[in-house]
Amino acid sequence: MLPGYVHVVDDDTSFRTAIERRLKLAGYDVAVYSSAQELLDRLPDNHGLGCILLDVRIPGLSGPELQSRLIELGSTLPIVFLTGHADTETTVRAIKAGAEDFLIKPVSSEQLIGAIERAMARQKLALSQRSKLEALRALIATLTPRERQVFELIVRGKINKQIAHELGTTERTVKAHRHEVMEKMQVQSLAELVSIAERLGMLDPAASQRG
Amino acid sequence: MVRSCRSASPVHSHGRNLVLVFPTTLPPAPNVMDKAIRLSRLIILLMALLFPAGLRAHEARPHSMLVLDQSDRRGPFYYQVFSGLRAMVSEHSAAETTIYTESLDLNRFGGERYEEDFRQFLEAKYRDRPIGVVVAIGGATLELVLRWHSKLWPDTPVVFALVEERDFARLRPPPYVTGGIISVKFSDAVKAARAVVPNLATAVVVGADWERQVLFRNWKDEIATRIEGLNVVEIVGRPMAELLDRVATLPGDSAIIYLGVYTDGNGNYFPPSDALAVVAERANRPIVVASETYLGPGGIGGFVIAPTLIGAEAAKSALRILDGENPESIPLSVVDVVKPIFNWQQMERWSVNESNLPSGSEVRFREPSFLEKYRWRAVALGAALLIQAGLIAFLLHERHMRRRAEVESRQRLSELAHINRHATAGELSSSIAHELNQPLGSILTNAESAELILHSKTPDLDEVREIISDIKRDDLRASEVIRRMRSLLKRAPFETTEIDLNQTMREAFDVLSLQASAHNVAFYLQTSAEAPRVKGDPVQLQQVILNLVVNSMDAMAKMPYGRTVIARTEVNGDASAVVSISDSGPGIPQDKLNEIFDPFFTTKEQGMGIGLSIARTIILAHNGQIWAENQSAGGAVFHLSLPLVAQSTLRQLHRV
Repeated sequence: MLPGYVHVVDDDTSFRTAIERRLKLAGYDVAVYSSAQELLDRLPDNHGLGCILLDVRIPGLSGPELQSRLIELGSTLPIVFLTGHADTETTVRAIKAGAEDFLIKPVSSEQLIGAIERAMARQKLALSQRSKLEALRALIATLTPRERQVFELIVRGKINKQIAHELGTTERTVKAHRHEVMEKMQVQSLAELVSIAERLGMLDPAASQRG
Repeated sequence: MVRSCRSASPVHSHGRNLVLVFPTTLPPAPNVMDKAIRLSRLIILLMALLFPAGLRAHEARPHSMLVLDQSDRRGPFYYQVFSGLRAMVSEHSAAETTIYTESLDLNRFGGERYEEDFRQFLEAKYRDRPIGVVVAIGGATLELVLRWHSKLWPDTPVVFALVEERDFARLRPPPYVTGGIISVKFSDAVKAARAVVPNLATAVVVGADWERQVLFRNWKDEIATRIEGLNVVEIVGRPMAELLDRVATLPGDSAIIYLGVYTDGNGNYFPPSDALAVVAERANRPIVVASETYLGPGGIGGFVIAPTLIGAEAAKSALRILDGENPESIPLSVVDVVKPIFNWQQMERWSVNESNLPSGSEVRFREPSFLEKYRWRAVALGAALLIQAGLIAFLLHERHMRRRAEVESRQRLSELAHINRHATAGELSSSIAHELNQPLGSILTNAESAELILHSKTPDLDEVREIISDIKRDDLRASEVIRRMRSLLKRAPFETTEIDLNQTMREAFDVLSLQASAHNVAFYLQTSAEAPRVKGDPVQLQQVILNLVVNSMDAMAKMPYGRTVIARTEVNGDASAVVSISDSGPGIPQDKLNEIFDPFFTTKEQGMGIGLSIARTIILAHNGQIWAENQSAGGAVFHLSLPLVAQSTLRQLHRV
């Protein structure tokens, strides 16, 4: 079990209390909100481990509306929907918009906690992936502009002679830049370098144009 | 019409036959006289044969006839005799014939003196009037005419009528006399009486003195000979008062045979038919008569003499003589003027069966049966009745059909209302499921929490207690939702109870509250301070409110924001409760304000158009009214008013 914050949004006090009680017993930190607006007012930390338990039907801003607001705001907290009555349209829209799960009341603790666990795990994974990419971006940031140019051409499979011709320099200079790039990016092979470029989205056609 | 006198025994033979046979029943005449008469007749006949030219001299007779009545011609009988005669004369177109008439009035007058005076009167009166033929009506008349003949009209032939055959035999008329002999028999009267009274034991003969009788004088002898098995009582020539007393108390097996009464015995004279009317009024038995003229005044009928035929027969003979025929060449005959004729009304009165009447009987005065009498009226009445009956049947059928249609339509309404509630429930189903699953979800989660706590080493019992209290509260909540749902879906017959309209409104709005929040509609319910108590079906009235509110919410569906439903209840004096439901929607097009309550009128894409129509039907069934209008500030408002429960009833209820 992954400890984390569960943000419960439900207008029904009785249900809110029951869920809060149950999740606390399961070992989660729980924050309750009686409306969507309340959550937006106290926007939870994006970087901590957590998820949102959201009722579809709440007065004012509805569950799906809150979901799209949160995406706009760049929140990555996974959302588990809870509803008293599931209509297909709402369910499909919510899942497409990236909802973690869609549960129907009354929901058993097993189902509920399982869904929360999955959400937490995904959140954890997302968080770790995000930190790895950020590390790689930090390495790229250490490259000089000329080294960056050489890097982008290498990962597109250009040989030194072509690179030299394209940059209007000598093959020797290119070789030196290439060595410097491998050093700075902390890789031993060209394949590793290509992998990094791919993960950072540098191989997209748009990225190449920019280059 | 005329049967030969030869076949008519026992009488006479006359005319061209030279042999004269006189009836044996005649009183025996002295032999010498007899012989003398026979001789004289033979001489006359021989003369006639020898001098036919002399007789032909009579051919140039004046075309005039003198009719001598025996009685007063103003009586119906003689009047009819004369009518028959005159009719026949008028028919005879060969030459114009002058008719003179004189009444001898022998029923009232008589005696040698009178007869002589009358003769002189005639002599004086007709001195300058040539008479072609003398018509003598009645036996007594004939007798006088024969006596006067030589003095008054020595060369004039005589035609007689209404002379009974015995009188004829007695008078032995000379050759210049011809005419019709009448045969009336007492036995015929008895035959008729037996037909009328089958167990006849007594025949009561009522009439004037025998001597006064014209035709029936001879019945005296016939009665004297006695008829087997019949007792004949004579009330003849008695004063009227006695007569009336006696005819009123006759035995049941008797019949009256009326001959004719001319006087009341106190010097008053009247036609015999008038006397008959008086007698008939008092008589307790049927009256058999022998004259056609007695049928009308109260006679039941019998073998009656038809006076017109007598007159006609006499006229025929008289005209033949005036046309030049010799009286001797005209056969003396018994004229067939007696016919069995009966009075239907009298037959009815005395219950006489028509089949008992003598064969060939004629029945007169038959009262036409209802249908015969009122044929067209009856047909018209029947037709009218038939048409009326048809119309009534049609209307009854119509009424029956309408009643059935009404029952059916009420049933349909009930079914439709039920379907409408189902539809409403379907529309609300997501809200209701949500509403129901909310407490159920809480209950499940709380139960599981409690389980966990109880499984721990140091269970926090205070928290468990709190959880259980929460579970109980949520359970009640769920039950309440189900109760509301059931009442909405209940298929109940129309049942009215006294209800608080505010309560009904609150429940309806509870049902709708989630729907409202899902559709972002703000609800405001303003109930009156005083509870509006009305008589109605709570389920159906709630349905009306649901329909109106759902309608308002649908109307506002396309609005981005500001969706509001305001409901208000008011008590309007002592008379009515008014519910208003207004929305902030686009309102109703002005020209559609009256149509929106029509069935299947809808502006929604998926509407059936029955919600508002059902609402109106239900309100009308509650003796209420429903109408819609647009608010000046925008949006539509629906009003419904229902009659309040009478205050007195309320007070009574409160006291209880």
